[in-house]
Amino acid sequence: MFALRLLWRDWRGGELGILASSIVLAVAIVTGISLFADRLQQGIVAQSSSFLAADRVLQSPAPVDNLWLQQAEREGLQQAEILSFQSMVYAGEEVDATMQLTSVKAVSNHYPLRGQLEVSDEAFGSSIKTTASPPRGEVWLDPRLLPLMNLEIGDALYVGEAKLLISKVVVNEPDRGGNGFVLGARVLMNIADIPATDIVQPGSLVEYRYLFAGEADALSRYGEWVKGQMQPSHKWLNLKDTQPGISQSLQRAEQFLLLAGALGVGLAGIAIALAARRYSERHYDYVAIMKSLGATSARVMRIYIGNLLLLATIALLVGCAFGWLIQEMFILILQDYFDVTSTPEITLRPFIIGSVTALVCLLAFALPPLLSLQGTSPLRVLRRDLPNSGLGNVLTYGIGVSGIGLLMFWYSGNLTLTMAVLAGVGLTFVIVGVFAWYLLRGTARVGMQAGSSWRLALASMRRRGFQNAVQSVIFSLAIMLLLLLALIRSSLIEEWQVQLPEGTPNHFLVNVAKHEVTSLRTLLATNQLETEPIYPMVRGRLTRVNDETVAKRASRTDPTAQNSLDRELSLSWSKTLPNDNIIVEGEWWSEGSTAAEVSMEKNLAQRLQINTGDKMEFLIGSERLVVTVTSIRELDWDTMKPNFYMLFPPGLLNQYPATYMTSFYLPSGQKHFLNQFLREFPTITVIEMDSVIKQIRSIITQVSSAVELVLGLIIVSGLLVLIASVQASLDSRYQESAVLRTLGAKRELVLGSLVIEFSSLGLLAGFLAAFSAELSVYGLQEYLLRMDYVFHPWVWLVGPLFGAILIGIAGYVTCRKVVNTPPVEVLREI
Amino acid sequence: MINAQNIEKTVATSEGSLCILKGIDLEIKQGETLAIVGSSGSGKSTLLGLLAGLDVPGKGSITLAGRDITSLTEDERATVRADLVGFVFQSFQLLPSLTALENVMLPAELKGVAGARGLAEKYLQRVGLDHRFNHYPKQLSGGEQQRVALARAFASQPHILFADEPTGNLDTATGTQVIDLLFELNREEGATLVLVTHEQRLADRCQRSIQLEGGEIVADKRNKPSVVVSASGQN
Repeated sequence: MFALRLLWRDWRGGELGILASSIVLAVAIVTGISLFADRLQQGIVAQSSSFLAADRVLQSPAPVDNLWLQQAEREGLQQAEILSFQSMVYAGEEVDATMQLTSVKAVSNHYPLRGQLEVSDEAFGSSIKTTASPPRGEVWLDPRLLPLMNLEIGDALYVGEAKLLISKVVVNEPDRGGNGFVLGARVLMNIADIPATDIVQPGSLVEYRYLFAGEADALSRYGEWVKGQMQPSHKWLNLKDTQPGISQSLQRAEQFLLLAGALGVGLAGIAIALAARRYSERHYDYVAIMKSLGATSARVMRIYIGNLLLLATIALLVGCAFGWLIQEMFILILQDYFDVTSTPEITLRPFIIGSVTALVCLLAFALPPLLSLQGTSPLRVLRRDLPNSGLGNVLTYGIGVSGIGLLMFWYSGNLTLTMAVLAGVGLTFVIVGVFAWYLLRGTARVGMQAGSSWRLALASMRRRGFQNAVQSVIFSLAIMLLLLLALIRSSLIEEWQVQLPEGTPNHFLVNVAKHEVTSLRTLLATNQLETEPIYPMVRGRLTRVNDETVAKRASRTDPTAQNSLDRELSLSWSKTLPNDNIIVEGEWWSEGSTAAEVSMEKNLAQRLQINTGDKMEFLIGSERLVVTVTSIRELDWDTMKPNFYMLFPPGLLNQYPATYMTSFYLPSGQKHFLNQFLREFPTITVIEMDSVIKQIRSIITQVSSAVELVLGLIIVSGLLVLIASVQASLDSRYQESAVLRTLGAKRELVLGSLVIEFSSLGLLAGFLAAFSAELSVYGLQEYLLRMDYVFHPWVWLVGPLFGAILIGIAGYVTCRKVVNTPPVEVLREI
Repeated sequence: MINAQNIEKTVATSEGSLCILKGIDLEIKQGETLAIVGSSGSGKSTLLGLLAGLDVPGKGSITLAGRDITSLTEDERATVRADLVGFVFQSFQLLPSLTALENVMLPAELKGVAGARGLAEKYLQRVGLDHRFNHYPKQLSGGEQQRVALARAFASQPHILFADEPTGNLDTATGTQVIDLLFELNREEGATLVLVTHEQRLADRCQRSIQLEGGEIVADKRNKPSVVVSASGQN
């Protein structure tokens, strides 16, 4: 009870404000970010899974053994089945019957297990989302199929022998991208109607996809089991396999959130340490008085630790509530991108993380300064100048740094990241500290020639040399961490945007005949569609490398490459190196080269351990072609532009039959252009990637916004550190200002000198922070995020400017009351 | 009540060790009022700190109500202080975040005594501050702050009251009022009073005064017993 009363009295006296708000902020940041990261992850997993319409997919060219599905059932997994194939469909009666090559997808009743179908009751009408699939006897069609075949909802469509009722149009399927290329307009039907079509026979070119969804453990157990049963023709797919670009972006975003969270806690920790230190310094006299009145050290500690625990409990509850609010705010801002129909599960985990953070923060940051209270001598009531024999600085800082490290490691689960950040912080401490100390000592000489406000400020900076050096380090750390996050955030978002910029090709055209190339180019140009170059394509199989068969070589170098090589590759030729390709080994051919050479894609070359100078044999039709590898190219498969494993010099493949391909960007409003296009070029195959790109974009936007918000939150903790740090020096400033004003110094002079002092410290700290941030971002991008490093000149401008202005303002606002308090009041308290 | 034998106190300074007190022998009877006088740096406050158990001597022994406090740990001395001792300081030493009433309640609260509030109210009324219960120290004048300190000292119902320059921060008139109050209360409570001062008129009000110079007692005189309360004997 006594501790509670003391706590209340301290709170009333304004002693606990910064300490309490630091703890609240630490808990709020961690709880908020964890809650949000949890929900974001659930949202992203749900959305990512929708790319597969499931959590995992088993792909097979033939029906799998029923035992496999029973095993999945035993694991408690949800299941659905898809059968897809190309087929002509018919409509109308014999005379005016129309037919069209379509991509048929027959699904079982539970499809889709993840994500939703977007359907409409009219072609190009407004759509709704549904998790239902076509019932038996009905078929749902791609909207552009209706005008193309002169059909309406309610008409009949023949798929093979089966007559099906057109009941809806299907605007989008969740797994359109994950399902490989969609060739031709979509026809979605129930898998139970397949026998009636009489299309699928043994040996038909069809693809079976078995969808599974359920708990992560069960999925991975089943995955292991099924991999043991699989033949080479089977594939076990997850998001990583189908959308490596998205998977990587998400992984980086998650790391960024973790890093940001860890830094946020670090910053809040510093704020707690500063506030606790100031609190305990102000309480040395309290403790001395209490001890002179008969309180034992144990009693004092019981009171203060009780106080701290009470404060922590209150701050914890408030922090958790704020954390919840922060997360709700995130969700509110991001609701456009979140699937609002699914309410993510709220777990206790984020709150536990928040509570443990609070506990560790208190133990590591608040307890050491408070423990030093114990050593206060009661003799201090007679001699106030008596030094306090508390814990040494090294031990205090050591405990604090260990606390940050422990939290970061626990929070990020990444030892490299933790060590990198700690090393960065440690280095900053030492380098910045020493540099600041020397620089501040040097201000004395400058001060002699300066005007009065400046002279006062510089003298004050020198007098408090050590404290100011420590303060500069803290300012620097805070600014550095903010700059660091801003830098990483920019590169992440820029990289994502570069990956799929506006106008990314979203339709591929394949099977273009040589005689169609010119008219195709004209049609695309008259419709003002942005088009990639048109590439020729010759189908050929890689058979030998040097004197070894490819199968043998692959089994030796990379057995997983065997599948991808056991099919025909698209071979193309080009006079010049495609725009996004980079030569990493060898040289691109000189113009007019007639040599038998090839340029190979880097990953495939690595998997087959092929270097320049190696000889490769291709089987094209029935002819053999032997070429030498003269260059190896690196390229990005996620750019949605035509790319080739093998590029030859022009002329070398002239004698073989070639088709052409290209990709172009079709704005969503011009989708009907495809109908005109297909009427003019009925034999060209259009692969529609627009909905996939839309989905990827939506995830990227969602994650980018999250990253921005987290950065905002970290800035708040950075500001809190700045304020706590300014507050720490407040007591001695009160005294000095009172003495100066008693001696006749004007209010403006004192205030001016304070602003100059803080701005100069801020400028110095900002400059040093820019240096450390640039160094750290280099390390992080190079070794952790695996991104290319670029120099950031703006950091060197923004850092010092931001430091000077922000710390100047923080100093002004915090210290204004120093000059507004009548000197007599201050002096009376001394 | 207090018995100091051959006490010495040496402190380390940047120019070597400095002997502040040299072989002090002092006996103070129960209920006696004693003034320690001397110039600045003569060791007055150091001696007070040692006698009150706030510090330990380098040599010699001090017994307080029969307990040898020089052999006790700091925590054990704290318990002795809680049981026996009250303080009044030159700089008042009130806690700024506590009201006048809360400051006076503090010793009783630390001891865990029930009815701390009633006791505090009684003593604040006694020092004439019944209208200032909820004022903070900075809202009080110097004299009022020292009266709160007096109330706090007596609220712990001490056997021995130590006062370090109790009028040092006060003007003469206010100082006189505070001293009157101090002696009045002391008479009522029957406590032993040890007072450090450099004011002769204040020292004269005590039954006995010792003078320190260079860490040694150079004079020990008995004054006219004008304010004797329950002195059981003379030195």
